[in-house]
Amino acid sequence: MNAVLREMESTVAPLMVSGLVHCYEGHNVLTGVDLTLEPGSVLGLIGRNGAGKSTLIRLMLGLLQPLAGETFVFGEPALQLDDATKARIAYVPQQPEALAWLTAQQMFDFIGRFYPRWDAAFAKRMLERWQIPPNKLLAKLSPGERQRVDLIRALASQPQLLVLDEPAAALDPVARRELLREVALRAGESGTTVLFSTHIVSDLERVASEIAFLHQGKLLMRCSVDETKERYARLWLPGKMSAAAPVNSLSRRRHDDGSLSLVVERDAHGQWPEAANLPGARVDALGLEDLFVEIAE
Amino acid sequence: MDASLLTVQPTAPEPIYRQIVEQLRRLIAGGQLVAGEPLPSVRDVAGFHAINPMTVSRAYGIAEGEGLLERQRGKGMVVAATRKATQTASHRLALLEPQLQALARHANELELPAEPVLRRLTKLLGEER
Repeated sequence: MNAVLREMESTVAPLMVSGLVHCYEGHNVLTGVDLTLEPGSVLGLIGRNGAGKSTLIRLMLGLLQPLAGETFVFGEPALQLDDATKARIAYVPQQPEALAWLTAQQMFDFIGRFYPRWDAAFAKRMLERWQIPPNKLLAKLSPGERQRVDLIRALASQPQLLVLDEPAAALDPVARRELLREVALRAGESGTTVLFSTHIVSDLERVASEIAFLHQGKLLMRCSVDETKERYARLWLPGKMSAAAPVNSLSRRRHDDGSLSLVVERDAHGQWPEAANLPGARVDALGLEDLFVEIAE
Repeated sequence: MDASLLTVQPTAPEPIYRQIVEQLRRLIAGGQLVAGEPLPSVRDVAGFHAINPMTVSRAYGIAEGEGLLERQRGKGMVVAATRKATQTASHRLALLEPQLQALARHANELELPAEPVLRRLTKLLGEER
């Protein structure tokens, strides 16, 4: 029976949303978002500032009520999670959480009791590594230190679903690399499912198994990092050939000299659009950052 | 072999798994990695470079499929004893495929006919020997 339960647990999507619509101060933020996270995947959520990444995360976790659409966490409606399900999730928001009247150590001692798999030794080790005074009030720590405490709290609870909203902001390059290592190894070895938003694209290229690009209220290009790099490229056409430009492209930019840059996609046979074979046309492979800039501009 | 021998450029247009496969092909074809030499574990490579372990597994799997690596009990992945993949000229030629494709693409962009390009390439190959 336990084996059957475990089997079911391992196949139910840690996060699932469909038809998500949300407004903020009369302004459409999300206009129909569908997203399912498979167990053990690392999804990098990217988008411009104000694209609604944090709002989407809060909606997915049931911390906000959507105008329309459904959200599920481990198969349960996100707005009515029971305590056992909550203990399987760790979420680190951009803004530090409450409990500022405690020290880091007191907060860990207090919170650790609610998590059956709390790793106190890990929490202690990381406080030292990330140079956070364990006995100083959280309220007296810098915002960066507060977010690092939150990250340690999230990792020490050994969650099955780890959700990080812009975790890189508070970390120097060495600590950021350590966090990425933790995220990558936990996903690979413990099957932790991870969702993280970031504007540092190279972080995402290292550890994400999939990316989702939030742009103008919708998710664009939901696929694996490797597939994205192999499937999309920039096609440059000289001005005299711009009439031959493929109709379906993800972005289109005309330069001052009349030439045209397009983001194009391989067809089902792995071929670029026909215009790529015209004399003078150029296809450039793109890193993710260039790709996003081309599309978001 | 140490995990630091592999280099990873996350921002490059080429996916990381392909970067790793490409380096393994070269290190093995060039003899820097010899038959029977153990490879760093997936965990070591993923941990050292802070990359997803699945990316490393995928690269190792491809290299195994090409006959470059083999799984040995107790040792993990090692450089294959037979190294079939590096023996035939056509396999070695396949290593140059990305560069050859890039060359062909650039030549077409410059609207150069094949002949002068091939003449120049032949000359270069002769000089290098």
